[in-house]
Amino acid sequence: MNSHDVTLAGYAFFALAGAGLQLLSYRTRIPSLGTVLTRIMRTRSGRVGVVAGWAWLGLHFFAR
Amino acid sequence: MAEEDPIGSIRAERLPLASTLLGGLRDPVIVILVLAGTFDWLSGNPIHSILLLAAAFALARDASIRRRAEFAKAAGGPGLAGGHAPGGAETGARAVPFRAAFGDLSPRAVVIGAAAFAVIVGWFQRYSWPATATVVGVAAAGLALGWEEPPREASGPVPLRASGVLAWASVFVGLALWELATLLLQPSLTTDSYAHPTLSVVTDPILATRPGRSIILFLWLMFGWFLVQR
Repeated sequence: MNSHDVTLAGYAFFALAGAGLQLLSYRTRIPSLGTVLTRIMRTRSGRVGVVAGWAWLGLHFFAR
Repeated sequence: MAEEDPIGSIRAERLPLASTLLGGLRDPVIVILVLAGTFDWLSGNPIHSILLLAAAFALARDASIRRRAEFAKAAGGPGLAGGHAPGGAETGARAVPFRAAFGDLSPRAVVIGAAAFAVIVGWFQRYSWPATATVVGVAAAGLALGWEEPPREASGPVPLRASGVLAWASVFVGLALWELATLLLQPSLTTDSYAHPTLSVVTDPILATRPGRSIILFLWLMFGWFLVQR
C-alpha cells in the first residue's frame, strides 16, 4: 500500500463516517446533518460561514 | 432619525478599520474564513481568496455595528430594533429582498433551473472565464441569500445532544485536517502530487469530462439550495 492508496483510504474513511452518522441519525438520537446545519445557521455568522464553505467548493472545482 | 434607526445611523458612521478587524477575531467563523482565504491566496487562487476574505470582512463589520448599537443601548440609547441578541442571533421580521425574490420558487422549478444551468455551464471548458463568471455569480447569490435570515418556526431551536454534534464535528474537522496534511505534503502548494492527492486531484478525472462537470455542478447547486433553506 503506497502513499496514494493511504490518502484515498483516508478520504473514503471520512466519507463512510459521514454516511454512517447520517444513517444512525434515522435510528438513534444522533442529529442528522441537516439538523446540525440548521442549528449552526441560526446566526448570521453561522449561515455565512457554511454558505461560504459551499461557495468555496464550487469555486475550487470549477472556477479559476 | 437616529432614534428610529440606530443600526442605520451607526452603519452610516465611518467604523474604525482596526476596531472592525480586531473585533472580528472574536468570532471563530471569521478567523476560519481569514485563514482559508490566506491559504487560498498563497496557493495561487486569488478569486477564491477574495470571496472568503470579503465574507469575513462583511461579518466583522456587521458584528462591529451590532456591538456599537448594543453599547449605545447600554449607555442609555435606543439600542437595536427588532430584538437582536448579542452574537448575531436575529429575531423579528425584516425586509429580505433576496429571499422575497426566490422564496416562492417551487422545488420543480429549482431542479429544472439547476439542471439547465449545470448542463450549460458544464459544457464550458473547466476553469474558463465563462465558467468562472457564472459560478462566481451563483456563489455570490448564495452568500447574499445566506446573509438574510430565512423564516423560522416560533418554537425555537431543537436541543441537540453534545455527543452527536461532537461526532459530526470530528468528521468534518478530521476531513479538513486530512486535506490540509495532503496539501502540505505536496512538493509545493501549487504543484499536484500523485503520492498525496488532494480532493481536487482525486476528482480531476470526473471533472475533466463535460457530463462529469454537469453532474457535480448540479449536485453543488442542489446542496446550495438545501443550505439556504435551513
